[in-house]
Order: sequence, then C-alpha cells, then structure tokens
Amino acid sequence: MAVCTIHPTQSLNPACSSIASFHQKQGLFCTYGSRAIMAKRGGVIIQNHPPSPGVVICSAAGGSDTLVIGLAADSGCGKSTFMRRLTSVFGGAAEPPKGGNPDSNTLISDTTTVICLDDYHALDRTGRKENGVTALDPRANDFDLMYEQVKALKEGKAIDKPIYNHVTGLLDPPELIVPPKILVIEGLHPMFDPRVRELLDFSIYLDISNEVKFAWKIQRDMAERGHSLESIKASIEARKPDFDAYVDQQKQYADAVIEVLPTQLIPDDNEGKVLRVRLIMKEGVKYFKPVYLFDEGSTISWVPCGRKLTCSYPGIKFFYGPDTYFGHEVFVLEMDGQFDRLAELIYVESHLSNISTKFYGEITQQMLKYSDFPGSNDGTGLFQTIIGLKIRDLWEQIIATKTGAPLEAAKA
Amino acid sequence: MASSSTIALLNLSSPFSSRPILSPSTIASLGVATRRREKKPSLATVKASGGGGGGGGGGAKYKGTQMRERLLREMIEEKVAEAKEACEGEGEAAAASAECRVAWDEVEEVSQAKAHLRLKLEVLRQDPLESFCGDNPETDECHVYDDDDE
Repeated sequence: MAVCTIHPTQSLNPACSSIASFHQKQGLFCTYGSRAIMAKRGGVIIQNHPPSPGVVICSAAGGSDTLVIGLAADSGCGKSTFMRRLTSVFGGAAEPPKGGNPDSNTLISDTTTVICLDDYHALDRTGRKENGVTALDPRANDFDLMYEQVKALKEGKAIDKPIYNHVTGLLDPPELIVPPKILVIEGLHPMFDPRVRELLDFSIYLDISNEVKFAWKIQRDMAERGHSLESIKASIEARKPDFDAYVDQQKQYADAVIEVLPTQLIPDDNEGKVLRVRLIMKEGVKYFKPVYLFDEGSTISWVPCGRKLTCSYPGIKFFYGPDTYFGHEVFVLEMDGQFDRLAELIYVESHLSNISTKFYGEITQQMLKYSDFPGSNDGTGLFQTIIGLKIRDLWEQIIATKTGAPLEAAKA
Repeated sequence: MASSSTIALLNLSSPFSSRPILSPSTIASLGVATRRREKKPSLATVKASGGGGGGGGGGAKYKGTQMRERLLREMIEEKVAEAKEACEGEGEAAAASAECRVAWDEVEEVSQAKAHLRLKLEVLRQDPLESFCGDNPETDECHVYDDDDE
C-alpha cells in the first residue's frame, strides 16, 4: 500500500520530461489538464522550474517506514568513500539527482537517498562570518527543520529540502526529496539533537584521530597552491575547539564507531599510510549482531600471516574483545595493517563471523569494487563494507517483522 | 610551494599484486569484478597533475566545471591569506577569536569542496554538470573544451 501526498501546483511542468532518468522506484504522476503523464521512477524535482498543476508523489515503501541511518563525519558529504561503499551494498550506485541543481549534495540510488546535513545550515557563509560562528557550531544549523524533515521522510512524506551550495557558500532554492526505502543523513551533527537521534534506526560515527587527520589533510591539500604545512595545521587547530565541543561529543551516542588511528606495526610511523582501525560496536542494539572473530565474547589476538598465508611488511594484525565505551558495553574488532593480495582479504573474510554476507566472498567483492578509493586495502574499507552489510541485514529484519510478508513481496 | 616528494600518499596503486594466489576460475566464481586497475590513474599521478593549475586536471569536461575548479582554487588561496590576517595579533587571544576560527573554517570548507570535485573528476570520472549539460547543451557553462582550447 503506497502513501501518497499531493503537491498542488500552477502551470505546466517542463521538469516532468526529465523524470525518466530518476532513480527511485516510485510512482510519480504529472498531470497537465486532464492528461496524466506517468513517470515510472520518482526522484527529485527542480523546485525553481514552474511546477505542474498536480503532482502526486507516492511512496513505494510498501507500508513500512523509511529506515533512517545517521553518519557523523567531518569529511564533507555525499561524495565520501564511506557513502559509496554503503550504498553499493544496498545495490546500485548513488548518483546526484539528475536535472536538478548541479551543486546539490544529495545522492540517490534505487534504494537509498543520502542527505547532506549541511543543507540545514541556518546561516550561509556570510551569515556565519557576521555572527562569528563556524559550521561546526550548532547555532549555524536549523535543527528544528532537520527534525521536521527527517521525521516527514520517515513517515513517508516528501519534503522540500534546502540546498547549501559549498561553492558559492549560499543557500540555494530547495529540491524535492521523496521518501526512500533507506535514508542516510550524513554530516557533522546527525546525533546532536535528541529528537533527530530518536529517529535514527542506526548511527555511525567516523572517528579520525588527530595524527591521521593531519596526514590525510596534507595528502588532500598540499597539491593546492594556497596551502602549506602551516596552513593545514592552523586550520585543524582553529577548528578543534568547536569540533571537540559539538561534533566529537556525539560519538557516545553512536551504535557503531569506526576509529582510525596510526599503525602500531611500524615504530614512529607518521605518514598515515598504514592504519589501525577499530570497529566499536554497541551491544544490545536491536537487529544488530556485532561482528566477531572465532569466539563471541572472548578476547582474541590474531595474526593471519604465517605458514598458510604469507603477507608483506608490515603484515596484518587483528584483535577482538569486549570493552566499555562511554559507559556502554561494546565489542571491538580491530585491524592493523594492510591487505596486499586478494588472497589475504578472502582469508580474513572467511574467519570473521556475523558479517551478514549473502554469499562467500561478498566482502571481498565489495572491497574490489571500490579499489581505487582510499581505504580499499585496510580496515577503513573493510569495516565500512561490513557496516554496510550489517545495515542491509538490519533493514531486512525490520521489513520482515513489520510487514510480516515474504521479503520478495516487500521489495516489489 | 609543495614538492611532490614531501607529499605522503596513501598507497593506492596496485594494492593487489598482478599474480593473485586464487586461481582465475575461483575469482570468477566469486563474481568478482575484473576491472583492470592499471588503467585508472593512481592517486600519485592524480595529485601531480591536479595541482598544476591551468585548463583543468583529470576530467573536467565542461567549461562550467573548469570555472568552478578555478574559482575554488583561487578561493583557497584567498581564504588562507584572510585567515592568516584574521589570526594575527597577540598570541592566544587572537588565535581563539571568532574571526580567526571562522576564517580557518572557511578555508576547510573550500578545501573540502575542491577535493571532492577533484575526486569526482579524476577517480569517478564524472563531470557534475553532465546531467545539466545533457539537458542544456547550448549554454555557455556547457561548452566542451578540446585540449588545444585556451
């Protein structure tokens, strides 16, 4: 059963002709006079084109609520590697909405819509300068609107979401977002407001340590003419007080934290090439069974490289065990080092449990898909992929309980 | 000016050796993608070409995108200079001042935007104006550059 909302509009909508390229499997009807033009896939409509006389947006969620995932990260939104790995697991590549504002931050795939929380900036760049607040400051963000709109999407209603343009620093005219099956809200403050936090079915915090952040920003920015080692350092330090106060404090609320640290395998390494990544998983989260190594609940130290598997320097080291994190009981799975060959990846995958894959080698396959991206040969890519699989698993469990119908019918 | 020898790069080129331990048939049975990584530029070469300025690195196809690249590049330089100025003054107080923090936050914002654009063009090989220019090929923004233009 679809949930439909009617958007009253005035004149002929030329945007309806571009609907053919939309992604989401939703019935979108555009009418001009009495003639109904049905577009098979609903998606994003440009709001600044003259809208049609009657647009009916129907959510194909099949009666079940939209799944809402929160991802806290300080790396900008929508184009991040994490997002690509995540959406790739659900199927289909997430692309910017076609025919809309080219500076839109939104990504849409067949099942998933990713919203960038920067779109909820209450103040644009000029406004922030005038008020003396950084983008990290809650005062720069409209949490009321964020809550209202995320709630609306979760309940199956379409929204007109503002667009924050990162190039111009201005707030552009809104774009229409229809409720997807899976909604990911990505940005600096997905868990900051308690009301928004309540709406999240699962939340992830990407915690990059200072050393790694510095190394990554050097890699990112040193090629730019304006930058130097000093400017990169100064930028990180100037943002640190606000970051610690408003962003970092959210990690206590996350169901999963991916912590990225410098390696312990190479003494005095400061290049940030080899990473030690920890996947901290909260215990007792509904529908979420933490990944484990060998024996759930025990403490394991594992070096896969040896007689059967040879690895090159500095090798790979795993750790698994229970712990506490901000007062919560958690399980930690940790990988230090890099995958050098396909064989290592498959070997590791075959020894992990509760990874929610649908076939043997699925993690390896997903990792290879984005092998050009950073993290494809270490714990960042591995754990991002695993989290994607866990979220898929979560979603399927929820669908199965809510509709009580076979999974195949729910997907139609 | 940064020289490439001081840039610490993530080791992205060929994380897997060309001779995998698993047999080709096993790999095929996993349904693993067999895209050749060698064809794509490693991040090392991408960085070297991306920082040079001029008529667009990697993959900017449309004039509008090249303009955006140039704009962001110039903004980074401008805003770094502004930030240095805003933070000048008596040590701790100046550094902690709102102007100083906001100025460096702006630097971060445009640096991120530039990096995202670069990632999109050079790794994903997508021009953000692709869809818009598909619908509006006549606009100035959608003029396509040849290598010997400008």
